[in-house]
Amino acid sequence: MRRVVILGGGTAGTLLANSLDHARFDVTVLSRSSEHLFQPALLYVALAHADPRIVRDERRLLSRRVKLVQEQVERVDLLARRVHARGAFHDYDALVVATGARADPSQIPGLSEVAARFGNYHSGVAPAQKLWAALDAFRGGTIAVGQASPICVCPPSPLEGVLLIDRLLRRRGLRDRSRLVFFTPHPRAYPAEAIDEIVAPLLKARGIELRTFFDVDRVDPKSWAIGSIEGERIDCDLPVIVPPFAGAEIAYEPASVLDDDRFVHADRNSLRIPGVLGAFAVGDAADLPTSKAGAGAHLQAMVVAEQLAGREATFDGRTHCAVDLADGTGTFVVSSYASPAVRYPPSRLKHLMKMLMGRVYWLSLSGRFEPLFDRYFHWTAPERLGASALRHAEKAAARSGS
Amino acid sequence: MADDPNRRLIDARGKACPGPITDLSLAYRRSKVGDVFELWATDPGIRPDLQAWAKKTGNEIVSVEERDGAIVAVLRIRAR
Ligand SMILES: Cc1cc2nc3c(=O)[nH]c(=O)nc-3n(C[C@H](O)[C@H](O)[C@H](O)COP(=O)(O)OP(=O)(O)OC[C@H]3O[C@@H](n4cnc5c(N)ncnc54)[C@H](O)[C@@H]3O)c2cc1C
Repeated sequence: MRRVVILGGGTAGTLLANSLDHARFDVTVLSRSSEHLFQPALLYVALAHADPRIVRDERRLLSRRVKLVQEQVERVDLLARRVHARGAFHDYDALVVATGARADPSQIPGLSEVAARFGNYHSGVAPAQKLWAALDAFRGGTIAVGQASPICVCPPSPLEGVLLIDRLLRRRGLRDRSRLVFFTPHPRAYPAEAIDEIVAPLLKARGIELRTFFDVDRVDPKSWAIGSIEGERIDCDLPVIVPPFAGAEIAYEPASVLDDDRFVHADRNSLRIPGVLGAFAVGDAADLPTSKAGAGAHLQAMVVAEQLAGREATFDGRTHCAVDLADGTGTFVVSSYASPAVRYPPSRLKHLMKMLMGRVYWLSLSGRFEPLFDRYFHWTAPERLGASALRHAEKAAARSGS
Repeated sequence: MADDPNRRLIDARGKACPGPITDLSLAYRRSKVGDVFELWATDPGIRPDLQAWAKKTGNEIVSVEERDGAIVAVLRIRAR
């Protein structure tokens, strides 16, 4: 049997392991943790005091025929096809790197202090609960929300953060006593224009100050003032900062497969790690020119599953990131390598779908619902949505013209 | 200038969301005064973004041209 070793038991690793033909492949998942966290819910644990039980036992999510070894991977020799974990090694015929991205506040001076004092919603349940405690205790002043670096897991999450905090302050009658600032390294509230057209007016309407081209350079650990490379500064009482992200601390041979942030190079379509045999990188761990988000991790896992089964499959760069607009509606950032993000009008249904994802997620990992997901992604392809948006616009124009 | 050791190639062709401006911010973060970036992108939205970026950051757009179906911008870091 061909030995498939999967590094990381998160979204991509778990779905892939379950989707392979276990009669043909001997599948091993090596994961640092035996717990599987549904990351999107961290947003609500931190900003809406949601139920923190968003973790499940990885063993129970994996097919009984998949071997799970709880180990921290330390070194991967892609030439000898051997994975070194703490105390053991594993040889493989095919390797899939799915170790995700980790929040790394140490990259920016002062950010570790921010994380220690206020927590954040991108690195686990405990930091998310810490952030909730800070928000819960807030009685007025300035809250600054934004991402510290251009690389952000789930690119809409900083925006969702500021919108949810605005809602919280309104509900608590604290909004008149607080200033809310949203900063971003991008030229506008959201880098993709079609989404910016939706969110920029919302920020304005809700009185949220927007600071663009703000690349965080340092945070003063005494005053919590945030400074940017561009030489600007935001004074605040409560910094809610999405830390920079980096790939897992695993050494690779050859080291050239890693980029500056320890993400693993992969061909944007085949997801193969270039220059070596039988190795792929998927999900947040891969250095792909698309968003780091769950839908991409899901689709990439399936592309690799198909290839391992001997069928042709390519990844088209598809994104499908939910955006909670904090007013009971939501939208999705839908794009691909070939199509920039399309205008996808916000609706209650889309928000409901995001909320349902909390349940659907655990089922999706089994791989048994793949035909449904396949249809869903097909009907919501950016080309299809783009064409229908155009038709609507034309109809509206014809109506107003007549 | 092609073999300028301080010149850094940023290939953002065919980039999906969040787009080429992310690569530029990332390179800017790691740059020093005097560095030159050669940015390749296919998203036409990069043109106005570059203008806004240069204005805001005080960096220089040396040239912007079309080559092999892509937009190629040469940028010099003057401030940070
Ligand atoms: C606040 C927030 C909101 C989000 N919202 C959304 C959303 O609405 N929609 C969406 O699509 N996505 C969303 N995401 C993103 C989504 O959760 C991730 O993109 C997705 O989980 C990535 O899957 P992955 O398999 O690549 O990595 P992960 O699921 O992170 O899994 C990585 C695995 O690797 C293991 N690992 C790491 N290092 C090692 C090592 N050295 N040795 C062994 N094992 C290791 C980890 O233990 C883990 O099991 C959100 C994320 C956050 C933080």
